[in-house]
Amino acid sequence: MKRNLLRIIGASVVLGGCASTTTIDEFRPTTERMDLDADEKIVVLGRRDAGHYETDRSFVSCIGDEIDSSTITVMPEQEFIDALYPWFEPRTAPKGLKRLQRLMERPMIRDKVAAERIRYLVWLDGEIETDGHAGSMSCAIGPGGGGCFGFSSWDKTAFFEAIVWDLEDLTEKARIRVDSEGTSYLIGVVAPIPLLTPVRSEACEGMGEQLKSYFTREVS
Amino acid sequence: MTRRAMYTPLRTLGVLVAVTLVAAGCAGSSAHVRIEPGFPTVVAQPREIHAAVVFQQPFRDFVAQTDAKTSIDIGAAQVELLGNAFRGLFSRVDIVSAREQLAPGTELVIIPSVREVQLSSPSESYLNVFEVWIKYALEIETGEGVPIDTWFLPAYGKTQDSMLTSRSEGIEEAAIVALRDAGAKLLLDFYRIPAIHGWFERERQTG
Repeated sequence: MKRNLLRIIGASVVLGGCASTTTIDEFRPTTERMDLDADEKIVVLGRRDAGHYETDRSFVSCIGDEIDSSTITVMPEQEFIDALYPWFEPRTAPKGLKRLQRLMERPMIRDKVAAERIRYLVWLDGEIETDGHAGSMSCAIGPGGGGCFGFSSWDKTAFFEAIVWDLEDLTEKARIRVDSEGTSYLIGVVAPIPLLTPVRSEACEGMGEQLKSYFTREVS
Repeated sequence: MTRRAMYTPLRTLGVLVAVTLVAAGCAGSSAHVRIEPGFPTVVAQPREIHAAVVFQQPFRDFVAQTDAKTSIDIGAAQVELLGNAFRGLFSRVDIVSAREQLAPGTELVIIPSVREVQLSSPSESYLNVFEVWIKYALEIETGEGVPIDTWFLPAYGKTQDSMLTSRSEGIEEAAIVALRDAGAKLLLDFYRIPAIHGWFERERQTG
């Protein structure tokens, strides 16, 4: 009985340590929901113009998957970039609304966006950083077997920003920032046991749900 | 000899063989990558110019040998990509293999060549990405063979974090990004080349 209690407390402490804290900040000029016509789509794009990092593609597709549902259609990122090649390549993608407005003045681009029925563009920018390494672990292998012993931990911080552009009236509709942080552990007791903090999935879930709540499909 | 005594050296040998194989796999990394065509067409408004692009055979078959163990075959891919990009710049584009094949009435002739291809891999840069640089030279002439300019077109591509990416996959991804970058830069900057801008204005004025 006592042993079981100790195990439960131990597991709770360890798992509690792996949990992450997620904060979501949003800015919207209005609280009204953003309308989508029956066949209109959203596209989620990752910023790729920064020299030292680029938004993780798996995070971009995760946000797309979170928003995509029976009522909201999300166009895959690469499909959109190919459809509008070369205007959303790292070298050419509009960084601000003014550049987008200039881009949309070109009839070919405006017509292509209209033909693809893309209404909203969600720009994602951010990254996950790892720091605060502590502890050590050593692994050895020999004729009689092998194993790892020790304890290691590190902090993970995810910060992402999403900006929603309306491609119809070429305005910014919303801006969301999500910060998620947590600590991962690696415990070496013969076999290394990883206890990883879910900062990426929490940031994705938090931001995805928030974005999804902004859109509404008009019933025809 | 007891069974246990035989077992231990056998297991040691097994471990040694496994370690040697893993080490050999990591150290002797060679890659011969072919970039397959399949690039998108461009969204652009071409100008009323009849141009010819001369893709000479060495350009069509170009394989970059970045070091003794690594080669990147970009020939077919660059022909498709640049062909698409030029179709976004000019209203009529003839793709030919030699200057002798030019059609009558050709106003502009472009002969691209690859000047240099460089590769940077994680084992050299200690960054967790693959990077590819391609430098093109475009010889631009009038239909009559009068040189207008030689324009150098640099392109760059890199992978995302390549922690779990094989060398071949990393090089392929970076080369595709670099080729796409070349197409983007060509479309963006071609009419900004002072000599081309001047030629185009003169042509427009003379009608």
